[in-house]
Amino acid sequence: MIRIENLHKRFRRTEAVAGLSLNVPEGQVTAFLGPNGAGKSTTIKCLLNLQRPDQGCATVLGTDSRQLGPAQFTQLGYVSENMELPLWMTVKQFLDYCRPLYPRWDTAFERHLLAQFDLPLATKLKDLSRGMRMKAALLSSLAYRPKLVVLDEPFSGLDPLVRDEFIRGLLELTEQEGWTVFVSSHDIEEVQRLADRIAIINRGKLALDETSESLQARFRAVQIVLPDGADLPAELPIDWLHAEQAGRTLRFIASRHQNEAQLAAALRETLTATSTPDIRPMSLREIFIALARAYRLEGQ
Amino acid sequence: MLPFSVQLQDGTPVSDQILLAVRKALLTGQMKAGDPFPSVRSLSQELRISPTTAHKVVLQLKDAGWLNSRPGIGMVVTVPAQPELAERLAQITPDCRALLKEAAELNLTLNQVIDHLKSL
Repeated sequence: MIRIENLHKRFRRTEAVAGLSLNVPEGQVTAFLGPNGAGKSTTIKCLLNLQRPDQGCATVLGTDSRQLGPAQFTQLGYVSENMELPLWMTVKQFLDYCRPLYPRWDTAFERHLLAQFDLPLATKLKDLSRGMRMKAALLSSLAYRPKLVVLDEPFSGLDPLVRDEFIRGLLELTEQEGWTVFVSSHDIEEVQRLADRIAIINRGKLALDETSESLQARFRAVQIVLPDGADLPAELPIDWLHAEQAGRTLRFIASRHQNEAQLAAALRETLTATSTPDIRPMSLREIFIALARAYRLEGQ
Repeated sequence: MLPFSVQLQDGTPVSDQILLAVRKALLTGQMKAGDPFPSVRSLSQELRISPTTAHKVVLQLKDAGWLNSRPGIGMVVTVPAQPELAERLAQITPDCRALLKEAAELNLTLNQVIDHLKSL
C-alpha cells in the first residue's frame, strides 16, 4: 500500500528523513514509531504530497506520492494531530462540505459513527474539545470507507476514553477487504494491541520493521543468580542488551531469544552459571523502551 | 459484549491470551456447543485489537476444532462432550510449570509437592 524508497528530506541544517526505506503491506495495521523528532511526521507529509522529498520516492496506493490526485485521495483517509480544519464550521457544515468530495461517501456509516462518537452537530469545530475535534476529523476521513488510513500522532493529548472511542471507530472499517492502517506514534502504549507490524524510525532511518508477534517472540527479560565469586566476562554476547549487575543478580534483555534450552546453554557458556534463570516475556512497551535505549547508546 | 472473559495483559501475544480465555470458557462451560461465536469484527472492536489478530484467533480455534462455520449464522461453538485429557491438561501446564519452578527454588521435592497438592 505504501512503498518508501531511500527517502530524504532536509530542513535547513537538519536532515529530518535520511534515507528511509519501508514497505507497508496491505491488510494490516502498521505502527510507525520513533522518538519525537525522529522524522515520522515529515515522512508522512512526504507520503501525502504535503512535503516534497529531496531525494528518493514514495509510492502510495500504487501512485508516486508527487502525483497523488483525486483518484487516490478518495481512497485515502488522513488524520493528523495538527491538521488544519475549517474551525469556523459547525460539525454539520463540516460534514456537508466533505460529503460531495467523495463519491463513495457512505451516509449510513456517517450516521453510525456520529452516534458512536457522540458529536454535537450544531457546535463549531473551534468550540469542540481537542478529543471531539479529532473524532470529527476521523469521522470525515472514515465515512467514505478509504482503503488506506494514515494517522499522524492521532492520540497525543487525548484522554483514555476518547482514545478508546477513536480506536473503536477506526475498527468499524474492519469488514473491508484489504483495509490498511499506517499510524505514527511516539508512544507504543497507544498502539500496542492494535499493531500487526512495528516499524521504528530513528534519526531519519528505519531502525526496525517486524511483526509484533516476532518481536515478542525474540525478546525476553532474563534474571540469573551468579555463582559465588563469579566475575562477569568483559564481553557479553551482543544480543544481551542493557546487562546490569546488582549484588549476585544479573539482569539483561535477550534480544535473539529462541528457546529456553538455547538460552540456558548460552548462560552456562558465558557465565558458568548453573542456577535456573528467570525468563519472562516482555510487553511491546518494554521492548520499545529497551530498543530506544539501545539506539540512544549507539548514537553516542 | 463477548461471551467469554478476557483481561488482556501486556507481555504475552494478544492472540495467545484470547485463545487461552476462549478455551477456558469452553472447558468451564461459560460457552457451550451450539453457542454463536463473535465475528472477527466484533472481536476486533470489543477487544480493540487488529482485525488480523482477531481473524487469526478465529482460524486457530476453527483449526483446533472448537468452531464451525454455519451458513447464515456465522461461527458456532463446537465442543466435544468431554474434551480430550491432553487438552484439559494443556490448560494447566503453564501453572504447573510455574509451580514446579517455585518448588525447585524452595528446595521442595516433587513428592513433597504432590503430597501437599493431595492435602489441599
